[in-house]
Amino acid sequence: MKILISFILLFNILYAHPHTFIEVYPTISVKNNTTQKINFVWKLDEMTSSMLIMEFDTNMDGKFDTKELSYIEENYFRALNDYNFYTDITIKSKIQKFPNPKNFNAFIENNKLCYSFDIDPKLNVQNTLFDFGDTDFFIAMILKKEFITITGSEALVSDLDNDFYFGYRLEFK
Amino acid sequence: MIEWYNQILKQLVVLQYQLNSYISSTIRSLNDENMYQTSFLILGIAFLYGLIHAAGPGHGKALVALYFTSNKSNYKKAFKMGYMISVTHAISALVFTFGIFYILKTMFRRNFTEMSMIAMQISAVMIICVGLYLMYNGYQSKKVKEKTLQKQTKSEYIVALSAGIVPCPGVMTIVLFCIVLKQYTLGVLAAITMSIGMGLTISVAGILSILLNKKTSSLLDSKGYILEIIGGVLILVLGLFLFTSVGHK
Repeated sequence: MKILISFILLFNILYAHPHTFIEVYPTISVKNNTTQKINFVWKLDEMTSSMLIMEFDTNMDGKFDTKELSYIEENYFRALNDYNFYTDITIKSKIQKFPNPKNFNAFIENNKLCYSFDIDPKLNVQNTLFDFGDTDFFIAMILKKEFITITGSEALVSDLDNDFYFGYRLEFK
Repeated sequence: MIEWYNQILKQLVVLQYQLNSYISSTIRSLNDENMYQTSFLILGIAFLYGLIHAAGPGHGKALVALYFTSNKSNYKKAFKMGYMISVTHAISALVFTFGIFYILKTMFRRNFTEMSMIAMQISAVMIICVGLYLMYNGYQSKKVKEKTLQKQTKSEYIVALSAGIVPCPGVMTIVLFCIVLKQYTLGVLAAITMSIGMGLTISVAGILSILLNKKTSSLLDSKGYILEIIGGVLILVLGLFLFTSVGHK
């Protein structure tokens, strides 16, 4: 049995490695231990960005108009729902379905494609964790302490011990 | 063990993230004045990137490791296999990237994904065939007790082709990035140097597997065919795993 499990694990860990890197910039405001506003900005690596911008920016003006934005949201961003938007929100040790993202926007900043979106803010910070990572390990989510903007609380960043892929955890002090 | 593995994964991810960022900013900084110096720097980074990129998880190494663990071979063959895979990888990435870019300039990403899926399925079927072939070969070895060198060489080519046919998205991304910036020659050279780096890492995986094979073969003595059959079964399972996971996506 141990050998069988080892081989199943082996196939999982030998399967993939990251090809796209996404920097995660969370902006969170907290009041009375409850989140009031949660916004995420994802900044994709320059190489992946160049590939996607080529497709998205159809009139090649260096920004996205309404038509281009709805194309990105419908065809690319919403599809990430299948991957829980690479973010597991854990409340009281139970992983929640990622809330429906609102106010989606996409823009180009320093040759990088950026996605910005909000999520439903009412979360108790005392028992909430945000884990960022891709279980398929094709995407690497990068979170650093300096990427976080937080008011009303303090955030901690730690490595996420997922065994088969690498990720980061954001928790509140 | 898992904690130790997770730390390695972290270092591999962080290094690749840094190299990815460094390589893109360096390619962008190319101009007429620093052309040669910067080009050599980019190729050096591409080699390093390939070396580290291949050190991360990937089905190619699993296949090579299983093949060499279950088949008697030598270190020279491990290098040959590593480089056959990386050459196939590079050619496949260049053909896919240039092909899709010039045939279908729009919808690149979507087509790239679809093409990768098809290539992955072809690869999975080939891996299943390799597994079945090795199992059959192991069974024959039990009966005949002797294999021809020709048969083994043929299976090595099939293994290399199976693992290499899936174009590496990492190589494709660099090539495409160079195409977008109109640095075509640099794109081709970067794909080659990245593949050389990847080949070196895959060869090391093969060498380690040969070492393991030498240890286990002496334990099994004349029952070496058992290892061959087990290897064949595991490669077959790897192929089925790849095929079903691609189908699932």
